[in-house]
Amino acid sequence: MAGNSAGETPGAPAQKPKAPLPKSRALVNEQTAGVYARAWEAHERGEPVGWSTAIFPQELCETFDVPVLYPENNAAAISARHMGEPFIQHAEGEMKYPINICSYARLNMGMADKMRKAESIQTQGIDPAMAPPAFLCLANNSCTQLMKWYENLSRNLNIPVFFVDCLFNYSEEEPAAHKIAYVRGQIENCIRQMEEFFGKKFDWDRFLEVQRISQTNRVLFNEIVALNARKPAPMNGFDLFNYMAPLVICRGKESTTVILTELKKETEAHIAAGTSTFRGEEKHRVHWEGIACWPNLGHNLKTLGGYGVNAVMNGYVTAWDVAYEPGDLDGMARAYQVSSTNSLTTPGIMKKRIASIDRFGCDGMLCHVNRSCKLMTFHIMVGREMIEEEAKVPVANFDGDQSDTRVFSEAQFETRLQGLVEIMSGNRNKNGNKEARHA
Amino acid sequence: MPDAMPELEEMLFELGEVASHPRRMLRQYLAAGKKVVGCMPVYTPEELAHAGGMTPMGLWGGQVTPSLAGKYNPVFTCSIMRSCLEYGMSGVYDGLGCVMMPMLCDTFRGMSAGWRAGVKAIPLVPFIHPQNRTDPGAPAFLTEEYRVVRALLEKHMHCEITDEALEKSIEVYNAHSAAMRSFASAANEHLDVITPAIRHHVFKSALFMPKEEHAARVLAIVRELRKRPTHVWKGKKVILTGITAEPEALLNVLAENGVAVTGDDLAQESRQYRTPIPEGGSPMERLPMERLARQWFDRRGCSMAHETRAARGRMLTDMAKETGADGIVVCLMRFCDVEEYDYPMIAAEAEKAGLHCLCLDIDQSTRDNGQSRTKIQSFVEMGM
Repeated sequence: MAGNSAGETPGAPAQKPKAPLPKSRALVNEQTAGVYARAWEAHERGEPVGWSTAIFPQELCETFDVPVLYPENNAAAISARHMGEPFIQHAEGEMKYPINICSYARLNMGMADKMRKAESIQTQGIDPAMAPPAFLCLANNSCTQLMKWYENLSRNLNIPVFFVDCLFNYSEEEPAAHKIAYVRGQIENCIRQMEEFFGKKFDWDRFLEVQRISQTNRVLFNEIVALNARKPAPMNGFDLFNYMAPLVICRGKESTTVILTELKKETEAHIAAGTSTFRGEEKHRVHWEGIACWPNLGHNLKTLGGYGVNAVMNGYVTAWDVAYEPGDLDGMARAYQVSSTNSLTTPGIMKKRIASIDRFGCDGMLCHVNRSCKLMTFHIMVGREMIEEEAKVPVANFDGDQSDTRVFSEAQFETRLQGLVEIMSGNRNKNGNKEARHA
Repeated sequence: MPDAMPELEEMLFELGEVASHPRRMLRQYLAAGKKVVGCMPVYTPEELAHAGGMTPMGLWGGQVTPSLAGKYNPVFTCSIMRSCLEYGMSGVYDGLGCVMMPMLCDTFRGMSAGWRAGVKAIPLVPFIHPQNRTDPGAPAFLTEEYRVVRALLEKHMHCEITDEALEKSIEVYNAHSAAMRSFASAANEHLDVITPAIRHHVFKSALFMPKEEHAARVLAIVRELRKRPTHVWKGKKVILTGITAEPEALLNVLAENGVAVTGDDLAQESRQYRTPIPEGGSPMERLPMERLARQWFDRRGCSMAHETRAARGRMLTDMAKETGADGIVVCLMRFCDVEEYDYPMIAAEAEKAGLHCLCLDIDQSTRDNGQSRTKIQSFVEMGM
């Protein structure tokens, strides 16, 4: 199929005036703004603010009631607003970080250095602007680059790191007892170190409550995601990227329960009314693999929509499904070792993807070969055969990056998508449409 | 080899041959009925394989343009892992009984999947080092992890690895590390003989020989060097840091420009030998598996071992001062993110110490060193 030289996608819906945000989205925005505001207020009072990796046991700081911000989440937001480049340039230029390291890290370390020198970046029009950290929380369950990134932050800012080394499950079986014991021991040790650093006793009753809230929230999110197995889907799958923030930055808060309850209600209302946040006809359903191309999210969304493709499900948003029984510290230690699929073997991940391709009635898989995420890309390259052979759906890759705008090519994305659509259409003509199990 | 060749040069030549022909060494071991275990870089507990009567061989890839590995390797995979997978998939590593692989970085995590998919005939023995090295539970974790490695080696190689044999192997490895440190020191008094490439041969050959044999050769070389009068090197001197300083042609460019190597922090070379396996204090710590595990916690200044107050920059500037080096050459393996994160710290420490710092882009497969040649020439011309 020839490329569309005009840059328009066939069948793209006409521009409509922007609809008001659904209540759940407004609540997300309010919650995020509140988290940043609270961190700045604490900073201005001279109280410690933490920066944390995205899948650190948030239950600890939540129990201590200490504000925490999340650089990965912040980098995604800044990148989606096209504000990341000056920080990336600063990291590569003045700071001498090579171009090959993770772009979230380059963005954040560049920002941290500018903050250190200018005291505050609030005046530079950056939104959302992170309050400077007094400590760091590091869990390497997404990748090992996080460890190097936080080493550098710690050294450059001269602040301590609370570290939970979550290992890597290089074999397919469940984490062995010695792995669970090591991670549990680290969590307990972190609590002791934090008690000393914050000058507060750890409230184990409150911890149990935070664990319960965290479990309620993750279950709610899973239920919402599961609703998208409905055919046609009640949500544009990309909406899930927008609702990750509450799970990442406020997984242990009741405000997240409120947001997710509202979102579930809205999604069920769409199902009842036969409507969807996906605009146009849902001709194809695909499974998205990998982090979003945040700077190109709008383009991706529009192009997918133009071809009637709804990325109904993606594996990335399930990384915060940290499932354990409240009160079971061994279970919590295990959960932080396995919730991020980056912590698992490729066959382990692909089993999950194959199951979800089936469950969500996907006709194909679209994989983001993310220049910043080596590990996810390895999984895609090795796992592709498994998906094609076992799920029997076509797989297409495209090159991109989560923050660095120099990698993604609009033309390549569309060409790869066109190829995928052609194969999916051909398969549909041969086999008939797949039915979603949960329709 | 000519009969008249002096003993020192002969021994250096021999180690150069070993360093340049690992495949030939593998064939020799297999022909002699040895059981050979592949050891991926770096900090693989090859003492376990040695204690089981096996021959451990380092797998450090080579100068090859991959044609098969691209199926499972992203284009942004470091050249060592790319060439290792290529060799695995193309049969060069056939005959290895199994391969030990540490999960030290994201590429290794990915490679564990790539290896299993692409090299089905050679079983993988993966393991992971604990990175929270100050956590009280970390030593017990690593000891247990090594027990799992030991059990897998016993299973795949049909052998037994006893504590007694391991104790003996630990002594062999500690003696070898000490021999390598002696060589590094003696080499600096004879930079006319020990060129950058010869120095590299001595270190690299250790990866492909039984350590007791290699230590004997190296100590003989040290004795021969010490018999000779000290040479006063008039040219420039540098410290090398990084994963490897390969391909070898790069080292020849240094020599051609009158630059000698007086110390290194290369993962392929001295980084492996500067930390002895500790004796241990308590009776429990003196058990061989405990001792083997505790070595990891004594390692300093390595990009693959987590430390927030990174010692590496200062370690390099101290090494430069001690050996009279004029500068630090960062051999930055392309797409090696753990090293890339350390580079700004090294450059800053070098600048603070008033040392010149040169960064070379390392790709094992490259056959054109033009860019590095130009950088080295400018580095020397600018007075370093």
